[in-house]
Amino acid sequence: MEHEPDLEKIGKEMKPGTISRDGFLGTDQRSLSEILKGDDEAVRRLGVTHKAIAEKMRKLRNAGMKGLGDFIRVPPHFEALVDSFRGKLPCPFGHPGVIPKINTLVRNLKTQKEITYTDMNIHLIAAHGFYEGKGAPYRLEPDALVEILEIKPEL
Amino acid sequence: MSHTVLINKKMTLTADGERPLLQVLKENRIFLPSACGGRGACGMCRCKVLSGAGDLKPREILLLSEEEKKEGVRLACQTPVAGDLELELPDEFLSAGQFLTEVVSLRNLTYDIREMTLKLIEPKEIHFKAGQYIQIEVPPYELCDEGVYRAYSISSSPSNKRIVELEIRFVPNGICTTFVHKHIKPGDRITINGPHGRFFLADTDADIVFIAGGSGMAPIKSMLSDMAERGIRRKAVYFFGARSKKDLFLADEMRELEKKLPQFKFIPILSHPQPEDAWEGETGLITDVVDRRIGRVQDPEAYLCGSPGMINACVKVLKKNRIPEDKIYYDRFA
Repeated sequence: MEHEPDLEKIGKEMKPGTISRDGFLGTDQRSLSEILKGDDEAVRRLGVTHKAIAEKMRKLRNAGMKGLGDFIRVPPHFEALVDSFRGKLPCPFGHPGVIPKINTLVRNLKTQKEITYTDMNIHLIAAHGFYEGKGAPYRLEPDALVEILEIKPEL
Repeated sequence: MSHTVLINKKMTLTADGERPLLQVLKENRIFLPSACGGRGACGMCRCKVLSGAGDLKPREILLLSEEEKKEGVRLACQTPVAGDLELELPDEFLSAGQFLTEVVSLRNLTYDIREMTLKLIEPKEIHFKAGQYIQIEVPPYELCDEGVYRAYSISSSPSNKRIVELEIRFVPNGICTTFVHKHIKPGDRITINGPHGRFFLADTDADIVFIAGGSGMAPIKSMLSDMAERGIRRKAVYFFGARSKKDLFLADEMRELEKKLPQFKFIPILSHPQPEDAWEGETGLITDVVDRRIGRVQDPEAYLCGSPGMINACVKVLKKNRIPEDKIYYDRFA
């Protein structure tokens, strides 16, 4: 996981209306550093890594792309729907480039549970171990990701 | 203290103080595309500054490519006019204007796509090419504290200069789409700017392949209407992808265009037709149908509008069918 030096400054970028309308921190009263630490601990407890979570998210997203806007079956028992919207957003941590607004909905047909995530989520988890603050519209719970996407413990 | 902004070596603006270039241009009725309202988030307000811009700002370092940086491309919202400045702008930016409009009708084309027709109030006419887009200025309301801009392709024909018709798909929590689908009513006033974009028919006699999905219908409809009105008889085939019949719209209008354009064929494709659809047309992925039926046209130009996933997949199919990349034009929702 890559920790940027100035988390206070990055936290300001994550406020509503700076990069995105709702921001990235939601109603979470914790500092960005505490949010990152809390989720990092949760991921460790689950026996997985941010990289493994992001890789599975990306794999399902790429498979879902082939559905061209419709649900597509992804073995062994997932369905994925990828939807694109006009616009791109920069990474609040200051990575170069912009990230397209693409949402992926993954449905686990075995458990009938589903989860939606964005390309920004994939990037934030892979590069920064950041799942957004509690109450943010695109907040992801690590345990929900691990359960629904069936990410196997590796640690 | 006032500064000058020289544009394309022929137009000079004067700017007081030290305000962002985007704002100075807007005050002088020069409208660069911008979705975020000048926060440096969308990266759309790119322009080439030949001199006087100073060092790159942090957002520009992130959003501009190395090649753009070398070429002097800047984000107008991040570039302060702190001294004399020289710019190079594409002509399309200079011809774009701002228009006050009135909503004259709203029509649901599907459960999530709404057609909105705007009558121009001031100025009374807009000149655009079929395939171009405008930006709607969404005023502050419950989903946004300050005005923001969102881009939509024009679906009406350029011949009707007093009307702009748009097809807007609802996106849950989307600032502009919620505004259009849940708040706007006939008689409301809306500010737009444009026209923008370079997605329009090349002036050739080549056969044409149109490919679209969802609200990607809009620019293609404008192009076809324009062809019909101007008597352009180029051979054309239009592949339109939808999930089921409830996602298919304007099919009757396309059939009417088939009558007006004898060499035009509309091919709707349903990926998941429902039993109640009683669908007898093409089914499956749009890419498969395009691959199978592309032989109807010879050495065509291709015009695509839709999601990046659909466009990328279709471009692969077109290239496989030996359509050169420089003959493939697209407006990607990105």
